[in-house]
Parts: sequence; C-alpha cells; structure tokens
Amino acid sequence: MSQKLVIDPVTRVEGHGKVTVHLDENNKVTDAKFHIVEFRGFERFIQGHPYWEAPVMVQRLCGICPVSHHLAAAKAIDQIVGIEPEDLSLPAQKIRKLLHFGQVFQSHALHFFYLASPDLLFGAESDPLKRNVVGVAMEYPELAKKGILMRKFGQEIIKLVAGKRIHGISTTPGGVHRRISAKERAYFLDDQEIPSIDTMIKWSVEIIEFMKTYHITNKKFLDSFAKYPSGHLGLVNKKNGFLELYDGVLRATDSKGNITLDDVSNDDYNQYFYEAVEKWSYLKFPYLKHLGKEKGWNRVGPLARINICDGIETPLAEQERLDFKAITNGNINNMTMYTHWARLIEVLYCAEMMKKLLEDDDILSNDLTRKGKRRNEGIGIIEAPRGTLIHHYEVDDKDRITRCNLIVSTTHNNEPMNQAVRWVANNVLDGQAKITEGMMNQVEVAIRAYDPCLSCATHAMGQMPLELQLFDHYGNVIDKKIKH
Amino acid sequence: MNNIIKLTIDGKSIQAKEGQNLVDVAKENKIHIPTLCYFKELNPLGTCRICTVKLNGKHTTGCTVKVSEGMNIEVNTPELLDNRKAIIEMLYAEGNHFCPTCEKSGNCDMQNHAYEMGLTVTRYPHVFSDKMVDFTPNRMIMESNRCILCKRCVEEVKSPDGKNVFSFVQRGVKTRVHIDYAQEAKLSEEEALHAMNICPVGAILIKGIAHEQPFGHRKYDFLGKDVIPSLKNGKAKKEDHEKFIVATTSLAGCFGCHMSLLDIDTDLLDMLEIVEFNKSPLTDIKKFSKRCHVGLIEGGCANAENVHVLREFRKKCDILIGFGECAIMGGIPAMRNFVPLQECLEESYLNGVTSEIGADIIPAHEDIPKLLNNVYPCNEVVKIDYYIPGCPPNAEHIWKVVKSILLGKEFSITHDEFKYD
Repeated sequence: MSQKLVIDPVTRVEGHGKVTVHLDENNKVTDAKFHIVEFRGFERFIQGHPYWEAPVMVQRLCGICPVSHHLAAAKAIDQIVGIEPEDLSLPAQKIRKLLHFGQVFQSHALHFFYLASPDLLFGAESDPLKRNVVGVAMEYPELAKKGILMRKFGQEIIKLVAGKRIHGISTTPGGVHRRISAKERAYFLDDQEIPSIDTMIKWSVEIIEFMKTYHITNKKFLDSFAKYPSGHLGLVNKKNGFLELYDGVLRATDSKGNITLDDVSNDDYNQYFYEAVEKWSYLKFPYLKHLGKEKGWNRVGPLARINICDGIETPLAEQERLDFKAITNGNINNMTMYTHWARLIEVLYCAEMMKKLLEDDDILSNDLTRKGKRRNEGIGIIEAPRGTLIHHYEVDDKDRITRCNLIVSTTHNNEPMNQAVRWVANNVLDGQAKITEGMMNQVEVAIRAYDPCLSCATHAMGQMPLELQLFDHYGNVIDKKIKH
Repeated sequence: MNNIIKLTIDGKSIQAKEGQNLVDVAKENKIHIPTLCYFKELNPLGTCRICTVKLNGKHTTGCTVKVSEGMNIEVNTPELLDNRKAIIEMLYAEGNHFCPTCEKSGNCDMQNHAYEMGLTVTRYPHVFSDKMVDFTPNRMIMESNRCILCKRCVEEVKSPDGKNVFSFVQRGVKTRVHIDYAQEAKLSEEEALHAMNICPVGAILIKGIAHEQPFGHRKYDFLGKDVIPSLKNGKAKKEDHEKFIVATTSLAGCFGCHMSLLDIDTDLLDMLEIVEFNKSPLTDIKKFSKRCHVGLIEGGCANAENVHVLREFRKKCDILIGFGECAIMGGIPAMRNFVPLQECLEESYLNGVTSEIGADIIPAHEDIPKLLNNVYPCNEVVKIDYYIPGCPPNAEHIWKVVKSILLGKEFSITHDEFKYD
C-alpha cells in the first residue's frame, strides 16, 4: 500500500512550509517535496505607488531582515534618480553599510543562538521539550545572555541608523536622511551602557571556537548530513573578489568550483536568470538560464559566500576563512551543516566591519544625498543574511511604479532545501516501518541549516513545530506524530 | 457684535464675545475641542465633524457655532468622546490609511487625533476602496484613497490669479478632490509645499518628498498624550505555583511583531519567570496542550489556513490580543485587496521579468492552502479583546499590555510607545 507522509507545518513563519513524502508499498521513498504555502503578491500591488515608497513598503516582506529589503530597494531607487552605488556620498555609503552589518550581525546571532544552538548543545535526539531557546536560557544562562546581547547590539545599530529596531527608515533616494552624532557613536564604543564593539568581536571569536570544538567531536555528522553537490551564488567585491554584502558583482560556481557566472554586473542579472514555477509550491525556483533548470540552481547564503569569495578584508575573519577552507583542502564545501560555521565567520566579519565604520569620522558628516539623471528603471542587489536578494523596479515618467520583480534569498534556496529534504527522505525515512520523533527532527535540522526566510520567524524563535502524519493511499490518517 | 455674553461649557460658566467661534472660546478656557477641517483663518467648514458637540442638547459641529447668550454646550461627555472617536474610526475604515508606509506619517493631523483618542482599531469593517490616484501633474500627486474630503485645500490654496487649484468633482460616495493642472503649474514651490502641509492626511503629495524626517523628529512624535486603555477583565486566574500561559502565532504577517516580542532583550529572561509559552513558534508545542490565559495574534487572514488557526486560538485562549498593523487593519498584505487575486498571481508567476518564456503554471495544489480573495483583519473573523497597534508595536508596549492583563493591573501607554509608525 502506498503512503504519503505529511509534515505540516514545518514552520509558522512567513507563511508555513510543509513537507510531503510519498512511499510505495515497500516503504521505499518515491518522492519528497518541500512546499511553501503562502503568497503575498507584492509584485502586483506595488504597481501604481510612487517609487520612493518602495523601500518603506517592501521591507514589510520580512520582519527579521527588513533592512536588507530596505537597502536593496533603496539601491534600485538610487538608480532611478541617476545614482550608481559608487556615486553615493562616502558618508551615505558608510552609514548604509553600518546599517547592513548591524542587520546581518543580529540576524545571524539570532539564528545561531535561538535556533541552532539548542540542537548543538542538547543534541538532535534530545528531549524535544528542552530543545529550544528557553531550554538554553535555563541550562546555559551565560551563553543565552551573550546571544541576547549580541542580537541587541545589532538591533541597536539598526535603531541608531534607521530610528527603529524593526521597519525603520534610513534611506532617501540617492542617500540617507541623517548622520550619526559623536554622542550616539560613543554608546557603541565606550562599554558603558552596553557591551562595546570590542566585546562583540571577542564573543564572535569565542563562538567560532565553540564551533571548532564541536566539529572535532561531531565531524562525521557534519560531514555527511544532507550533503549534496550544488552550485553556489553570491556577490563578490568588484575589484578583488573578496566577500561583499552591500554591493558587488554576481559570481557563481558549480559544486567543484568551476565558474558558472563570471562576475556579472547587477544590471545584467535578468539575462542570466529564469524562475521556474511548480504547481505544488508558491515559491519559485530560480536557475541560471545557460545551465538549464536541472543543473542551474544554486545555494545562496553564508556557505555559498565563503565558498565563492577570494578573501575577507578583515584580519580575524580572514584567518577563520582560511581555517574553514583548509577542511576541504581549498575546494568548494558542499556539506550543508557547515553553513552554521560559515555563518559564524560572517558574524565575526560584521563585528570587525562595524568597528571600522564606527571609528570612521565620515559617518558624522552631513554630506548625505546625491542626485543624478532621472531614469525609468532601477536594479538593486544585495547579500541579505540568507543570500542574494534582487529588487528590480520600472517606473513611468510620472514616478509611478509600473513593474516590479523580486527574487528573495530563500527563493534561490528553494531547490537546495528540496534537495536537503529528499536527502533525509532517502537516507533516514526510506524503508522504515515506523517514524520516530528523531527522524522528524532530522527533516527540521536539514531545512534549518538554510535559515530559510519562510521560517524567518521560526528560525528566530527556536524549534519549528512539526506534525508528521502518515496517510494510506486513500488519504486516511494511519499514524500521527506530534512533536511537543 | 462685541457684546460680552455668558454661556456654559460642560457646566462651567464662561464669558465670551458674542459671535466668537466656539472652538476658540473653548480653547481660551482650556477646554479642548479636536478639529480637522477647521484651520486657522479659514471660514469654518464643518465637513469632518470630529468637533461634534451638543448645543442645547442637540448634536452640532463645534467649529460652525458662533457663541451667543445662554448657550449650553457639552464637549467632554463619555457619549461625545465616543462619537468623535467613532468618526475618526469611520475615516480610517473608509479610506486606505496605511500609516507604516505613508509619507505623512508622524506629520498627519488625523493620525495625531487617533493617538490622542487612543484609537487602536476601527469598529467598522474596512472598505478597502480603490479610488483614483492622480499622478498627472509634474509636481504633485493626489491620493484620493487617503483624502477625507475636509475641503481645506479647496478653500485655502489659490493660484496667483486667485483661482481654485483644488475642487470637488462628482457627487455622493464618488466625490473626490480634483487638481486643476493649469492652475497647479502656476504655484510656486513654496505654495505647493504649503498645499501638502495643510492637508491633514497624506492625500496631497509633492513628488520626491518622502520620509525625510527621521523618527523622533516628526511634527507629532512627542506632542501627544499618554493613552490609558480600559481593562475589561480582572486578573487571570491561576494557582500561585503555576505560571501564566501564553500562546502566539503569526498569520499573514512578516514576523516583525514576533521579533519585537524579543526586543525586550535580557528582560525576556525575567519574563520567563512568570510566563510559560504554550503553542507558539517559541516552543515545539504544535497543538494546544492546555487552555491559555492570553493568545497573541500577528498578521491578518490571507488564506484558509490562517482562518482555521485564528479560530482555534479563539477557542483555546481566554483573551485574544491582536498585535501589529496587519492583525488590526490587514496591513501591507491587504494592499492586494485593491487588485483581483488572479492578477496578482499572473504578475508573480507568468509575467515576471525572469519568468520562463511561455510560462503557464500558477501554483494550485492539494498540499498548499487556498488563498482568500481578500486579506482580512482578525477582528473581522473572530472577536479580539485587545489591540496593540504599530508596525511592529514597540516591545515595551507589548509586554506592558500582556503583563497588565495577566496581573489585572491598570496601565498607561506613553505616547512614545503608542505609534502606528
């Protein structure tokens, strides 16, 4: 008798995700899918709004990384008022970057401490009642407190620049709307009211040390779990190919490191990408046109970025990158679980960059906006915490948005997450007579490594609630497991 | 005309010059009558009606009353306060007032009145009307969905030739303000800006001027009064050794409200001493394992699954709190209510810049929930007991409300915490 396993919801965020696994009469897996079950329609309903509303409106796609959407839209709108990223005033560039590093820092800290650390500290097979952020707070209060304070630091940077921790406003077309005052900056440097930026760097190094220790004892699990070959996509610095989060060129490699997208300008992105649609998911499947749907999909996010970049400009993070690359002898890393490690290297990079920018007197300057020759199209691409984020707007001569295209980070990761779910289905669920809580958690662990933005929320708040149902081929529930 | 006369306002005997405007007389005597359309030296219009008072027992607009001997005026009775709040609520429900993305947010007279009245939700269902947005002039936009037809611009803004720049066209529910393009072109930059500034909402916009003032620097950021919501229920009942039980969920929201829950930082650790989370993304509890004192709902209802979850929360929670713009007003997701759903789907899946050539698939499958034609605020689906506005609400605001409801304590929300953004 054939069966269908349903995991619903995988997450309660940004709409729900859901997993279905089809088994034949011998309990062999015949199919496994990860469905994204929510639809918003931004691309259509933003039409008819004036273009300057875009950065404020579109950031409401996501409450975890609104800054990324705010900045990607702002870069696109800059082009509409005739300003390329390098035309922005230096103070505006630096203030925007400070905002972005604060954002990536808080988002990564949130994911690691609130979501990933329970699995690592307690183990994937531990008591699910304890395996959440509250459990961490009870058993590892010092670690929990550091996690909370690191997230707080990032959130406070966002509040400094954008006025609010969530859905703040910083950009205006061609610049930013305020400078930083010396007094405001001292708050982050003097170690009085909150732990200083130096403490953030210290704690970032500590948490990478934790990861390295964990790696020694859990190498087999990290090496094998949900490992599969894939392409890797992200931005790199235009000049030297280094890790870049705010502005760069698009680079992709295949699973072996062969270049598949050779430092392409943002403005040309639509010559290289298609998005496929499937009946069974509201999330699209982007791929590189010239490689086709089967081979052209890419992972994005921390692992992809560390894989494709040629270096990191800050010394401590660069040393960590070299250590990380040494594990695969300098080759591309296709092991899903190493994404957690790569994410922590970026945490350190962000902390070092924030220090550099906070100490730069340009952020105190009043030289904030530029205007150029008005255009009717703008494209903004940024590396959000979860990966490459693309905003594209067309406007008419009367300033009305007439077309909009958004490819958000997690969309690129749609096929990779489906691959990860298939891996768990084939390697864990396949041929099993009974489903255990541990097996269910492994589906979560695989998806969670991508810190998906559909679970933007869930990744933030801890464990994803899961319900696994076993159906016979008539659709009757024959077994049910609820994790709680 | 300058005879001194006597009248009473809210039982207080007052002397004034005969024929003086009631709103001004009240103001001189420190009695506040809120106004929207009444504006400086303009002739009183009486269009918005939020200055409604009772004159000798009958409702009338305060700004059109010229005082005379023996008048008995009621201003701040519970009934009149509620009448005025209802009028503001009607304006919010009738127009499309998405404060979080509006250019005038923080500088909006109507928003400030709503703050002063402690308005958290409208008692009327939202219309989600789709009126004309006129981008024709080179400099100006008329956003009729935000216009409250107060007539300020019609009366106040004249071209150098003394001609009207704005005028009412059409009738009844179709009435809207039309811009005379030729006259508008004659306005100086300063005069055009003045038109934007006298508009008490965000209907008249000057192109390119948007969100230029940082939070905290806008006109009304610090001017309002603190809000004291009324508590309907006593203390939540529990045994001394037990914790209060809270459930949370995110429907059609962006999870920003849940993020704001975390933004009390390390105070969260103290909160966990008295509060236990049941069904919530904060825990692994997927199904309610017990009855909850409080349920926090983020987001409105955009699909069948959202409705199902919301109804379940209503059944399992003693008190339901809608938090955030989306739960209360539908929020940004409700902007799709002005466009047929099919058009939204086609734009996303068939006509995108990076859609495959000849794409013809729109997702529809037994494993993904059906979309509703419109996005609905939660209180249009189930009864909601409290509302915490904001996009997202301030963290202190959220926890103050939750804690006070659980402990049955009175509380006030500072103007700083009470924002629609």
